[in-house]
Amino acid sequence: MVRGMLQASLEFLKREFFKYYYENISRLVPPEPIRNREFGFFLEKGRGMFRHKCFNSLRDFHEFILNEIPLDIYVSAANYEDPGNRNMSEKKLVNAELFFDIDAESVAIVSEEEPAWICQKCGQHSIGLRDGCPSCGSPTELVRLVSERQLKEALRETEKLIRVLTEDFGIAPENMRVFYSGNRGYHVHVNQEDFLNVTGEGRREIVDYLLIQGLDEKELLIFLKRGMSIGSVSLKGVKRRIYARVVEKAGSVEKLRASRRETVLKMLENVVEELKVRIDPVVTIDMHRLMRMPESINSSSGMVKRRIRLEDLPSFNPLEEAIAFGDEETCLKVKIAPRFSLRGRTFGPFKDEEVELPAYAAVYLICKGLGEYAGR
Amino acid sequence: MTGENILMAARYPFLPEAREFISRNIDLSLESLEKTGSEAALKRAVERVKNALIFKEVKVTALDELNYVREMLSFPIAIILVSMIMNEYIRRMYALGESRGAYRRMLNESDETLLYIGEKMGIRGVPDNENTIRVKIPTYLKLAYSFHAPHWKLVNRAVNNGYVLMGKTEYARLIQVEVNNYVYEKTLEPVPAEAVPNSFKRAVEEIIEVWNRLETGKASRIPLREREDTPPCIDRIIKRMENGENASHFERLVVATFMIARNRSVGEIIEFFSKQPDYKYSVTKYQVEHLAGIRGGGKKYSVPSCRTILTNGLCYPDEYCKGINHPLRYGERNAAGEPRVS
Repeated sequence: MVRGMLQASLEFLKREFFKYYYENISRLVPPEPIRNREFGFFLEKGRGMFRHKCFNSLRDFHEFILNEIPLDIYVSAANYEDPGNRNMSEKKLVNAELFFDIDAESVAIVSEEEPAWICQKCGQHSIGLRDGCPSCGSPTELVRLVSERQLKEALRETEKLIRVLTEDFGIAPENMRVFYSGNRGYHVHVNQEDFLNVTGEGRREIVDYLLIQGLDEKELLIFLKRGMSIGSVSLKGVKRRIYARVVEKAGSVEKLRASRRETVLKMLENVVEELKVRIDPVVTIDMHRLMRMPESINSSSGMVKRRIRLEDLPSFNPLEEAIAFGDEETCLKVKIAPRFSLRGRTFGPFKDEEVELPAYAAVYLICKGLGEYAGR
Repeated sequence: MTGENILMAARYPFLPEAREFISRNIDLSLESLEKTGSEAALKRAVERVKNALIFKEVKVTALDELNYVREMLSFPIAIILVSMIMNEYIRRMYALGESRGAYRRMLNESDETLLYIGEKMGIRGVPDNENTIRVKIPTYLKLAYSFHAPHWKLVNRAVNNGYVLMGKTEYARLIQVEVNNYVYEKTLEPVPAEAVPNSFKRAVEEIIEVWNRLETGKASRIPLREREDTPPCIDRIIKRMENGENASHFERLVVATFMIARNRSVGEIIEFFSKQPDYKYSVTKYQVEHLAGIRGGGKKYSVPSCRTILTNGLCYPDEYCKGINHPLRYGERNAAGEPRVS
């Protein structure tokens, strides 16, 4: 959501968003049947979500978007009998896609760029890593922008997810759609008939499987200490991967058998950390979740939630391919911004200056709440 | 229908074969039931329910099987009797008894028969290697989530290409859950009181009498849910426990500490736990007093945090959970209903 910004900035955003939607409206195609899905929108800054909205046709949906130019657009993962009903239980859930969210933040690496800091009390600000304000000593807020490297890590995590979904869960590639979320992560939508009716409890189990939670370590430890054959029937799926990786780390089954129990346990823990798929559990369990609409703009960054074809995954670069806007020079007042890269160009760091930026970079800083529109 | 099939339908009267046999050969309308010499079947039906209440298992002997018409007929009659009583606990116990009995019998079946029963109950199993059966993951999840033992968790299963692998016994266990669900749902269908023959009403009285005898000494239940301020995770456990479903150790801990935090007395809490199938007064009292800080080091245990509940697989957040990290904070932050989006 776009935070407190000047009217001029908001108008600029709306103009740019309009251009994007006007040109790309045909790319915004919600899953069929459209009349069974709930839609939600952020229409104005600072206002709550406009939700429980439903549409009878694709045309109505497109018309609504071009009339309103929403800041954010969402569609339910679930199909409902009555998606427009304001009462969740009266919506009557029919079934729901499986929905996964991987956030660069939870992949646990920090941007390599130097952050900016803003004093929460006196408002002093500069580039660098600072815990306390040098003038008044109050705590500072650190501003970091997502980096290409972070997104690469998150993408690798996404590939891990896709592999598990394919190999273990038997999800067919044509039933899986992968997206860059438009900001800091990736989304995977699974629309496979037999999984649509899996309940919240079942989804919970899928989540635990991916996060390797509730693993019976004792059993695996016995397997490992006994040097059980990797071809064993009970070793399939995640257990097999864990087993194989521990053996690989130890060097051989013999070495593993000679190791102390504590050593093996420690190895096991490390391997679990390495192999788990860092999805956001709450997102997947919640069948009523609203998902960002594919090919719509994410107003936290001004980038698009972009579909990635499976074969393009390894080389996908969101900071190149999810940019929605042109490069007309735009004048921007920037308070503070760490260095960032978009479309292969590096910008900043900026501090209290008026800069000329291409429109896509200007939108990005405005959406991040770091700059204000200062006229073309 | 071959002789063998008829015997199987008598042994597993929930199979479609049994239904077909009855509908083809017997008039099952309530008015005619009394006339068709179904007295023996009615008697056997009462026995089924009593078996379930007393032994928690409906037994079927070889002799019962040979009496296949009576046997097959007694099952739908037992269901009618149970639905007439309209008691949730009796429904649960009956469904449990039927499914447990079926499970025991299935363990003695050949692989072929077991797979056949599974298929008919909508739990298709595919023979894999020797002694293993594959079941589709969604089917598995639908049934296995109710088990608490760690080896039933999906993460601890052999999973491959959309299937969960398991042994014969475990497969039979999954079928048991489905039989349980099937029987339970059947007992929810209402029976028009005016159409019920008098002999059925007498049979129901007989069952209630047995039930009362089993219940003597147990105090009446107090409703424990206060919907408004009970978070969905705990509400869910309480509901299941109220229905006599077995809860895990951790689930019991969550409920007990929650009730202590809400100033419920030890007596009230013990009373609530008395509905658990494995309830023991002394053990429950000891543990609840321990949690309440009356025993041991005098340390009162707090309700586990949202994070802990989540890692134990019990978090089912709703709109009012947003922004809280502890179940006792439920509803505090998100009264405005900030939407959940990704």
